[in-house]
Amino acid sequence: MADKSVAKYKISRPERLFALTCALLYSKVGLSKHQILSSIPGYMADYKPNGNNKSLERKFERDKTTLKHNGIIAEAVIPAHEDENNQATVYVIKKSDFTWPENIQLTARQLALLTLAAEAWAGGSLSTAANKGIVKLRSMGVVGEDSDIVGIAPRIIEHEPNFREINNAISDLRVIKFDYRNPNTGVIETRSVEPWLIQHLDGQWVVLGFDQKNKEARNFMLRRMISRVIVSANSAPFDAPSTEAIQKATEDLEKFADKQIAKIRIKPDTAAWFKYETKLNEQKAKDVVTLRYYDKFVLAEQIREYPGQIEVLEPKELDDLVQAGYKKVVDDHA
Amino acid sequence: MREPRKLTDSDRFNLMLALVGNLIDGAEYDVPELAKHFKVPEVEITNAVKNLGFIEINHHSPYGIDFDELEDGNVAVNYKEKMSLKEVPRLSARQASALAAGLVYLKSIPGLADSDEIETLQKIIASGFDKTQAPEIKINPIGIDLDIRILRQAINKGVAIKCDYQDNKGVTSIGRVIEPLRIDPQSELIYLRGWCQQKQALRSFRIDRMRNTVILPDVPISEAAKQAELQDEIYVPSDNDIEVVLEVEPGAYGLMYDLKPIAETVVVNKTSRRFTVKVGDVRNLGPLVTRYGGGAKVISPADAKKAVRDFALAAINPSIGSVPKDAE
Repeated sequence: MADKSVAKYKISRPERLFALTCALLYSKVGLSKHQILSSIPGYMADYKPNGNNKSLERKFERDKTTLKHNGIIAEAVIPAHEDENNQATVYVIKKSDFTWPENIQLTARQLALLTLAAEAWAGGSLSTAANKGIVKLRSMGVVGEDSDIVGIAPRIIEHEPNFREINNAISDLRVIKFDYRNPNTGVIETRSVEPWLIQHLDGQWVVLGFDQKNKEARNFMLRRMISRVIVSANSAPFDAPSTEAIQKATEDLEKFADKQIAKIRIKPDTAAWFKYETKLNEQKAKDVVTLRYYDKFVLAEQIREYPGQIEVLEPKELDDLVQAGYKKVVDDHA
Repeated sequence: MREPRKLTDSDRFNLMLALVGNLIDGAEYDVPELAKHFKVPEVEITNAVKNLGFIEINHHSPYGIDFDELEDGNVAVNYKEKMSLKEVPRLSARQASALAAGLVYLKSIPGLADSDEIETLQKIIASGFDKTQAPEIKINPIGIDLDIRILRQAINKGVAIKCDYQDNKGVTSIGRVIEPLRIDPQSELIYLRGWCQQKQALRSFRIDRMRNTVILPDVPISEAAKQAELQDEIYVPSDNDIEVVLEVEPGAYGLMYDLKPIAETVVVNKTSRRFTVKVGDVRNLGPLVTRYGGGAKVISPADAKKAVRDFALAAINPSIGSVPKDAE
């Protein structure tokens, strides 16, 4: 039992975080920083009643960030009767922000699918977040049940060196700077962007954000960044984008892609035919496939895997790009 | 099986939250079943339960834990105080984005789950996080138009399949028998990891290159296949492989991850990088290098350079394109 024999027991960080969560969730009016540091296990042992508690305060700030990463928002509020006296700030976790809106029970099969969804990130930048999310969801399933989903291991391929930094900058609303190569001109330029969303489009990772120089939303392919991104941690965070702004920008990109149409002819009984056969059947075409694309350089790469097997009918600029690439490969390997 | 990831303090805190969300007041569980359910080592469950028992708020312990029972591997919790948390918190924006994106990907894989099923889960994820925060990641549905149903049936039944398979040199073998072990969708490509009876070895097959697949209900998976250990990597180098040096520009850096260099990458100049890989057959480099249209090149050996050149030449040499109409 928890008696005197554990009195000297050192409080671990997971325990401290847990105690902090309980205390802030169940306090009626919230707790001041002083109350937190002087009464919650994990802080109170080191608290100096009239002394300097700077390092404890930093500990508390770090803990708040960890709570946020775990989906728990510890909000700072000033009670109404205290006007704007920020000495009176108290911290609270609102029950309505904490609990799930309905009582959810997951079946073994649902949990198995969610586990596959989480494991799809294995080895990638999001594996930690996905893992924590799935541990939470497992608490809504029944212990000891098995499902029939076996023998499949889907993986989302993500090995962009800048992925994690950009993802963090999106959460923290920080401007990122990077050197970007314009594929049309080959010119390399430093860009400053307020990152909003990372998208996976046609096999490519693309960050959508507000380009500070051009003063508009732009898309940047992660593989065209030729430097590590620099996150400006010292300047103020940018204003969070509205959902509408993000939606409009993603729709604009789709509209742009709708106008980009290529027609390619596939030579029968080749590897290319194997690749495009289903599309040909779908489009009820004899040997010409119509493709919608976001980026001609990416499409040119896909086509170049099948030399002599695909003829680009239109647009001409795509054909030129494919052919120039072949010529360069032949010259490079002379 | 992959090694379980080492848990951080933040993971351990998360596990405590999940445990109190799951454990019913007074019910009994055993440590191994909880470890299996949460997919963590047993010691993590024991420690998390201990930690819950040690928590004191205002001199009260919200969770009553029988420590003697815990020593014997049994878990029972009494929620003693009003202040004992019994619910799991919502997802953070990133956790929700990661899971939601994973679900979109699962939905793109034909024959894995019903789309209604996935949509229900997507709604659950969406309900579990604060919608004033925008999602951080979005995966657009990937147009995979292959059916994996037959393969999944064969794996579930533990029997072999037969198909026509076009290898990466463009040669099709008819009626190849494969003992299927696992389906590995990797973004747009789906591989079948299986035991090749012909080669008596593990092989990865691209499902988009398989045709006329049928189940062989009377051919059970062999002992050799069952014993074979599947790695996470699709390509596992062998001792006979040749070392090839490649140089890439930024647009082709992806090759460094796809090909798994065997030594440290060398910085040639501001943008170019050089690395060495092991390759089983230099002809396989053709499509990999050519696709980048100059962004990647083979530095050595000479026969690997020649293989890439020959591959790309097929596009430029007009004689290859003009086969007579009556040719067989």
